[in-house]
Amino acid sequence: MSQGTVETCGPEACVPSYIAEETLPYPFCPGCGHTKIASMIDEGLRALALPPERVVVVTDIGCVGLTDRHFSTNAFHGLHGRSITYASGIKLADPDLKVIVVMGDGGTGIGGAHLLAAARRNIGLTVIVANNFNYGMTGGQHSATTPPGAITSTTLLGNLEMPLDLMGTLKPARPGFLARTSVFAGDAVELVTRAVASDGFSLIDIWDLCVAYFAGQNTLTRDSIEQMMADLEMPAGIHHEGTRPEYARAWRDLYLPEEVADEEGMCLLPPDKGLEPVAQSQLTGRTSILIAGSAGQKIRSVATLLGAGAIMSGLLATQKDDYPITVRTGHSAAEIILSPEPITYTGVGTPDIVLILSEDGLAHVKKKLPEYPPATRIYAEEGLGELDTRAQMIRLPLLAKAKEVHRLAVGAVGLGAILAREGLYPPRLSWPPPAACRRPRWPRPTPPGWSRAWSWGSGVAARDVRWRLGRAPVLARATTVRVVG
Amino acid sequence: MIEFLEGNDAVVRAAVEAGCRFFAGYPITPATSILTGMMRALPKVGGVAVQGEDEIASIGLCIGAAMTGKVAMTATSGPGMSLYSENIGLAVMGETPLVIVDVQRQGPATGSATKGADGDIEFLRWGTSGGLPLFVLSPENVRECYTLTREAFVLAERYRTPVVLASQKEVGLTREAVDLQAARDDSPSVFARPLADPEAPYLPHAFHDPADVAPMSPIGGPHLVRYTTSMHDKRALLAKDPALIGEMMEHLARKILAHAEEHALYDLDPQEGADTLLVAYGVTARAAREAVVQVRAAGKKAALLVLKTLFPVPEKAIGEALAGVSRVVVPEMNLGQYVEEVRKLSGDREVVSVAKMNTDLLSPEEIIAQGGLL
Repeated sequence: MSQGTVETCGPEACVPSYIAEETLPYPFCPGCGHTKIASMIDEGLRALALPPERVVVVTDIGCVGLTDRHFSTNAFHGLHGRSITYASGIKLADPDLKVIVVMGDGGTGIGGAHLLAAARRNIGLTVIVANNFNYGMTGGQHSATTPPGAITSTTLLGNLEMPLDLMGTLKPARPGFLARTSVFAGDAVELVTRAVASDGFSLIDIWDLCVAYFAGQNTLTRDSIEQMMADLEMPAGIHHEGTRPEYARAWRDLYLPEEVADEEGMCLLPPDKGLEPVAQSQLTGRTSILIAGSAGQKIRSVATLLGAGAIMSGLLATQKDDYPITVRTGHSAAEIILSPEPITYTGVGTPDIVLILSEDGLAHVKKKLPEYPPATRIYAEEGLGELDTRAQMIRLPLLAKAKEVHRLAVGAVGLGAILAREGLYPPRLSWPPPAACRRPRWPRPTPPGWSRAWSWGSGVAARDVRWRLGRAPVLARATTVRVVG
Repeated sequence: MIEFLEGNDAVVRAAVEAGCRFFAGYPITPATSILTGMMRALPKVGGVAVQGEDEIASIGLCIGAAMTGKVAMTATSGPGMSLYSENIGLAVMGETPLVIVDVQRQGPATGSATKGADGDIEFLRWGTSGGLPLFVLSPENVRECYTLTREAFVLAERYRTPVVLASQKEVGLTREAVDLQAARDDSPSVFARPLADPEAPYLPHAFHDPADVAPMSPIGGPHLVRYTTSMHDKRALLAKDPALIGEMMEHLARKILAHAEEHALYDLDPQEGADTLLVAYGVTARAAREAVVQVRAAGKKAALLVLKTLFPVPEKAIGEALAGVSRVVVPEMNLGQYVEEVRKLSGDREVVSVAKMNTDLLSPEEIIAQGGLL
């Protein structure tokens, strides 16, 4: 371990500095506040006395992104604005690590979505924002936090944008800790220390002087920083302290409880559905079936059922679906190929069998209907209008029949008709019921500290969802039996 | 055991069985079922699966987790690949093992979200700044969604590199009878990530020969680990010396290229006396196989090379398949991309591109007609 030499003793104990002395001096301009910020982080880490190999300093791009080089901890220097994403991946992979993110105000702009998401999750990162109101490394361009009127190399006559208020923006997410200070404030070290110690998401907005660009061009000084806070109505101090559970551990508590390890537990995965042949199809060549209906009519499920039945009758099958981006409107179609031989090309030029269930389905195949040869059999809901085709028409009261069970069973009724008349494979297949998927043990104990909102919403939802997931294969079987039987 | 699975389902199964324990993704048709599949599958094996706030976050989460010891995967479609671009460069630079599945959809930008194409193929190879090589594999069916995902994890972990599985809607969302046990038997064994000696000092990018690959040490483990997006030396510290930078570039390229031939996966179906060679990949290979059957049934001759490894280009396999033919036909579901890779190796042979990107599959008949095969 290459932890740095002892510099001073902290208030709690004599903990060696996390700054690697041999890497000094820092590469920052004389008078730049970044040097102080590095020392503040060091103080915060020393107060916790963590082993350096359990600490990760993740830096963003910009001058302050050079900081990680000087820490004798793990260090991750990533792309501009994305430091929070790497830090979150690290925390999710190993929730007991202390993960510190060091970024500038530039990172808060380009990576704003990550900042919001991390605060909403309350993932256990400490975000240190060295906020000097401009992009120093690239020559002093304006950033998301540049005050109105400020002169920078990209706001030559004064900034017209309002600055991002990190406290006001993140507070509604109720993360672990939010505070604003400046590199000159007497309580800065204490606040950084508290941010570092925070279990959930913490962010400290440290106002800083960019001596190379912003401070000179805008006559910002140690003394005027406080006035700027007042003018912008962005006061210093602690803006929020919260007790929501830390996300990386909360995720594990919710998704990786003991019972999940138990094979009979949550049934998050449907049991493997092997489709061993239980019958023998007489089909000798490739047969293609086009099912055309409306979105929401369970077209894909019916097609899967048709293919599964074929496989259980010793055939091979492919299923190629076609649907627009809309969900419960428009057409839904599926092309199924059944064959005793391996299927290469999955396209269906001219189908042998067509099942048309609705007006949407009809509209989808309409252009091709005149091209279908007399050998093609079209099974159509009898309520649909005249069809312009030379193909053999079989009109059936599919919808009326379906309504005896449920209108959405129309595809299954059509499938039953096809199986009964076409002899693709035996319409009645029986097989052992699926392996038992026991209902999970509920109610689960509520993890300590969960907010009322969570208990109110997700507790109920998660229980319901899991129950449905567990039951899905069983329901599918039930449908199959009813349809085919 | 025969199952009726979609390609995306097979990717999920393969990932879990390859040891993948971290997944992050963002919903996007036609890749969403990999995200939802991993969310169901990973908790069963103690893994973590989360939805990122966007694609940039998703791949960033994966890179962080991968460097903290997790075997990681993400999945998206073309628009998401565009957002992954910069972070793919980071994974190359930081030598991060990561499997990326691109379930391609038709068109640039949002395109036809629910339709297939192979329009990203050259983008997958050249889709990040710097131009360093990476592996791109292309499955033609559900079985290969399994076997090539398993292969992708081996490549990622063995060479510490991002590996792209170039799937597409017509493979990922096509359901097919498949025996995964047979696919499993045909897959490479799980490659356990080599870890650095915990007692010895750790160099994150160590190599003697440029083609060497350094063992990893997870963040949070026995060593202090450094990682950087910037040009670095073997210690992951900023490098400015052109000689050092040159060596590192050679390392990042050679560790892939020196091993390219041993990972060149393809099927060659030669025919004695054939004058024409078809070179196909992905779902179009299925139509090409059918086309060859029809050509031969008609008494004509044609050879077929189906590529599973697209990049690095399997030059030796293509060169051998080209021997003795004077024409090459390359069908693909784009406006003609990989045909240029084949053309580079074809000398003065006639090279015919059969290209289509209108959301329909290329049919065997189109390949025969436009390729002049009969």
